[in-house]
Amino acid sequence: MTPHTTPSSALADVGQSVTAQRSPLYFAFRRFTDNKAAVVSGLILGVIILMAVFAPLITQTGYADQKYLTDALAFPSDAHWFGIDDLGRDFFTRIVFGARVSLSIGFSAALFSVLIGIPLGAIAGYYGGTADWCVMRLIELFSVVPPLLAAMLLGALTNGGFITIVVIAALFGWVQVCLLVRAQIKAFREKEFVRAAQALGADPGYIIRRHLVPNSISPIIVGFVLAIPMAMMLEASLSFLGIGVPPPTPSWGQMIFVGMNFMYFYWHLAVFPTAALAITVLATTLFGDGLRDALDPTLKGR
Amino acid sequence: MLRFIIGRLLSIALTFTVVSIIVFLMMHAVPGGPFDGNDMPVSDAVKAKLNASLGLDKPLYVQYFKYMWGVLHFDFGVPFQSPGETVLQLLGRAWPASLILGGAGVLIGAPLGILLGITAALRRNSWADYLVSAVSTLGLTIPVFVISMMLIMVFAVWLGWLPASGWEKPNSWFLPIAAYAAIPMSTYARYTRSSMLDVLNKPFVTVLRAKGLSERKIIFQHVLRNAALPMVTVFLPMFIGTATGSIFVEAMFRVPGLGAYFVSSINLRDYPLEMALILMITMMFCVAYLLSDIIYALLNPRIRFGGKE
Repeated sequence: MTPHTTPSSALADVGQSVTAQRSPLYFAFRRFTDNKAAVVSGLILGVIILMAVFAPLITQTGYADQKYLTDALAFPSDAHWFGIDDLGRDFFTRIVFGARVSLSIGFSAALFSVLIGIPLGAIAGYYGGTADWCVMRLIELFSVVPPLLAAMLLGALTNGGFITIVVIAALFGWVQVCLLVRAQIKAFREKEFVRAAQALGADPGYIIRRHLVPNSISPIIVGFVLAIPMAMMLEASLSFLGIGVPPPTPSWGQMIFVGMNFMYFYWHLAVFPTAALAITVLATTLFGDGLRDALDPTLKGR
Repeated sequence: MLRFIIGRLLSIALTFTVVSIIVFLMMHAVPGGPFDGNDMPVSDAVKAKLNASLGLDKPLYVQYFKYMWGVLHFDFGVPFQSPGETVLQLLGRAWPASLILGGAGVLIGAPLGILLGITAALRRNSWADYLVSAVSTLGLTIPVFVISMMLIMVFAVWLGWLPASGWEKPNSWFLPIAAYAAIPMSTYARYTRSSMLDVLNKPFVTVLRAKGLSERKIIFQHVLRNAALPMVTVFLPMFIGTATGSIFVEAMFRVPGLGAYFVSSINLRDYPLEMALILMITMMFCVAYLLSDIIYALLNPRIRFGGKE
């Protein structure tokens, strides 16, 4: 080290005894851990993600293996924790592999929502005027067409499937990300550091990329996390209408749909996928809410 | 105010036109036509003749302008799946059931949700608050067709109190309306709770308390009024949302409403009905958003139309 100590390292030297310098991230983390529901949801979500990733390791059979046809529709037991489905497949295996489908739809839809929402929100927020007007009309367009109807049309056009669901969920999920980013960038546009960058001759693209988008990272994270449960619910609804992920790919929505036909006699076929879907959506939602409150206390409860 | 409304009407007209073009193109891009079904196979010559009689052999833009010209005169054409009546007659026949279901669902669910939200906000972090949060989160995360199934299981199968399906007798209305009310109730409980808490933490409430106003007066005369503002804007769009939200509830309880036609018009390539349904919903959403903006402005004098978001 040079003899000069930087302000932060000087603080760090005395920090232990006097006052440690604490970053905004530290306070955000503290606010998050104070929220019990969010922490528990985060843990549950983590477990579900691990289960999805390591699905082949914790299950006995493949998700499409009809190994137990003679025991079809058997109730839950020690050997088969969630019973056996109507086609002789171990139901626990199907549920665990279903997490892969649900989560990958949720995460990829959220990713695309963010990829569409950030540039549009940034352009609308930074330039204002005509650009803002165009983006707002585009948003209006997506807010007056019910997602489910558009999904049904697009589903008929492409025969449903994984990619269709992700595209539809992203098409309707970017609106929220865009609005959050737009509001944040509008608020930051007039700040001194942006003025300074402009005075130094930075072009708008550079300012947006290097200054404004990094400052909007909390609404972006929040928008990302909250887009996940929306996509998972959409997948379940579309599967109910028969234009979801085609079998034998295990999707919870599709399993609920099939299970409801057996509801009167074999409750387990409908109950387990419903519980899996509800727990995952619930955990993601509460985790997202906690993250939002922690990262941006002014948004609390919105 | 007038300038704002005219501006919004123009933007509605633009939105409406764009939606109609996109939907029309998507609708015709779906492979197959109304006579390609397997139920009644017809020869190619007959198919061509049928298509010609419905004007389906003309170029797309001609079909589009012809249809939209009709729409401007409130003529939505004749549904292919039920050629004995016009689209408007079919809607007039199927809509009342959906309207009763959705209307009753929202009118019961919303006030209930508001009550729950107020209770939760006033007793923050008590068991009542946690219960309301749990119920409203469950209501928004369990798909509505599962809620319907649970209601059928409990009230129709196990207890045998109410019929599981149908729409003829008034006592068969209870379960579908209850299933329907779940989403507005949960949404409103969450909205009310957060907007109440928002207002309760404002400095003016502290001032009112310091002035010695009774807690009841503070809540009912000041906090509720301010908290109601953002809730007003959600009401109308949610009411319109009943039109599509009813697809699942109607299917589960065999309610003869509009829901089934959303699905069948797409599956059967019933172009006039499909266009009519989507255009009407789009129009109603546009009008609902406009009205709620106007109501919001009337209730909140601080909003200036020009600088509004």
